[in-house]
Amino acid sequence: MLVREAEMEKARNVPKAISVKNLTKIYGNGFKAVDDISFEVNEGEIFGLLGPNGAGKTTTIKILTTMIKQTSGSAEVAGRNVNANPKEVRQVVSYVPQAISVDGDLSAYENLLVFGKLFYVNRSDLNSRIESALEYMGLSERKDDLAKHFSGGMMRRLEIAQALVNRPKVMILDEPSLGLDPSSKKQIVDYIKKVNKEFQTTVLITTHDMMEADELCDKIAIMNAGRISIIGAPQELKKSVGGDVITITLSKGSSVTQVLGISIPLILGNIASNDGSTLKIVCENGEHAIPRLLEYFEKNSLSADAISLSKPTLDDAFMKYAKASLDSSRDYGDTRATRRSFARRSG
Amino acid sequence: MVQNQVVRFASSVLTLGEMEARKIRHDSTELWMRAIQPALWLTVFGTILGAIRGLAPSGYTYTQYIAPGVLAQSVLFVAIFYGILIVWERDFGLLTKLLSTPSPRSSIIVGKALAAGVRGIFQGIVIVALALILGINLRFDILDVLGVLVVAVLFAMCFASLSMILASLLKTRDRMMGIGQAITMPLFFASNAIYPISLMPKALQYIALGNPMTYVVDAMRAMLLTGNYSGLPTDIFALLISTTIMIVIASLTLKRLIE
Ligand SMILES: Nc1ncnc2c1ncn2[C@@H]1O[C@H](COP(=O)(O)OP(=O)(O)O)[C@@H](O)[C@H]1O
Ligand SMILES: [Mg+2]
Repeated sequence: MLVREAEMEKARNVPKAISVKNLTKIYGNGFKAVDDISFEVNEGEIFGLLGPNGAGKTTTIKILTTMIKQTSGSAEVAGRNVNANPKEVRQVVSYVPQAISVDGDLSAYENLLVFGKLFYVNRSDLNSRIESALEYMGLSERKDDLAKHFSGGMMRRLEIAQALVNRPKVMILDEPSLGLDPSSKKQIVDYIKKVNKEFQTTVLITTHDMMEADELCDKIAIMNAGRISIIGAPQELKKSVGGDVITITLSKGSSVTQVLGISIPLILGNIASNDGSTLKIVCENGEHAIPRLLEYFEKNSLSADAISLSKPTLDDAFMKYAKASLDSSRDYGDTRATRRSFARRSG
Repeated sequence: MVQNQVVRFASSVLTLGEMEARKIRHDSTELWMRAIQPALWLTVFGTILGAIRGLAPSGYTYTQYIAPGVLAQSVLFVAIFYGILIVWERDFGLLTKLLSTPSPRSSIIVGKALAAGVRGIFQGIVIVALALILGINLRFDILDVLGVLVVAVLFAMCFASLSMILASLLKTRDRMMGIGQAITMPLFFASNAIYPISLMPKALQYIALGNPMTYVVDAMRAMLLTGNYSGLPTDIFALLISTTIMIVIASLTLKRLIE
């Protein structure tokens, strides 16, 4: 408990790259696309905004990039208020929109050149910055080719290169891997990680690919129907779904009545189901529990034929929280309960 | 500080103009395609209607008379096309991306208008060259041709802005295609491009006088044909006013396009 509080204290003092408070957006047609959301992104973090189509992710991003104005609430990016200092916000943020945004009629180099100039990068630095951004994203050899001849993955890389010209404090990417094949996807994820590591750029990314989010993000917010139902590290979110499940099939010779009657120590987990030969055990750390469970069974003169471990995925967490947020009243209690359980577990 | 902002504004505008020139350098097919229609106007239409007396002022052939109008028309097409292009760029993420830079929004609009102007210049050069090839006797004086190109830039900026205003109201490519078709011909016919205003019915005459294209054609005709510059100040003034108004409105309505 103490450790947790010390950690939270530390988190409070970390400078915030993005800070959103009670943000709401109601579009002209009366549709509430973002409904009173709050979150903070620490400097240097990769933050994932996850949610199905229509969740309100793009709307949130458009407010953060000063493309549209919120209806109420406030947002700060790199310490600058989006309403008071929109131009300053745009100066330090690079935005890669959901739709492919390179100009196909210009070469790769020229695509970076326009943005360098529109960002008012010093003329003396411009060329070297463009060259190094292209080099960095592995596009140097194709720099004079028209962007319309590029593959989807290359266009995305070009967009990230474009975003780098401005040496942003915060990079915001809206579904960067949408429509890419698995290997290009992987490549984009690796590049984003690399940019984040080497330049300490804070990254806000939206996606509905859970695997990708799990691999990439330090922290995740799950959003649905305009609301954020939970925020946490991927690990925490997965744990909150209910822990690991161990399935043990006991050897044929064991007596059914003995198996049905068995109980296990609480520290090893809970028996979720037991049909007389196969047990499902829910526990916190499967790898750790398996040898101990086997030892325990042996002591009780039972032996296992087969054993398997399944860990919760971010998909499970997503299903739980994305669905939960549809029922708002229950969801709030749920979330609080989960937070308490996080605190307990880490304490 | 203020001076710095002016420099930045100008730099953003020029950047977008420069990019358009680079695009034309990569691929100029469109420029040549757009010369086909004017060529038909000058050869077929000009020759046939040239048989009717009284359409052109005495001393000039009808083809000579309509050449500046045809030039203006082809610039008009380019400019109106820009509104369609900007909806296109919105549908991809390009417009959003431009607007996410620290460059002021109005500089993006003026820059896009200038980009249309850059195309207008090249279109103008193509048509002047075409007239030269067809042996149409115009005043190919270098200063006059430069003057015509300046007017072409302003004209393209004016109507590209109008087109962007329409884009922010109509929002979809299909509707923009429709409106583009619907307004170019009336603008052309309700001007002095292919017949003198004095031949029009009274009501149409008033419309023609409110049509910026009339002033553009008048200015171009003065420089390319008559050498009588007395109407030029009025023409340029009218054009400057309309261009400014259009740009201001376009900057104000732009946000509707990205909402
Ligand atoms: N300009 C708009 N006017 C009205 N409703 C909109 C507008 N843009 C988006 N929406 C609606 O807001 C909701 C959230 O959209 P969006 O933020 O794009 O979601 P996401 O990016 O998570 O898929 C959707 O239901 C969408 O239809
Ligand atoms: Mg979206």
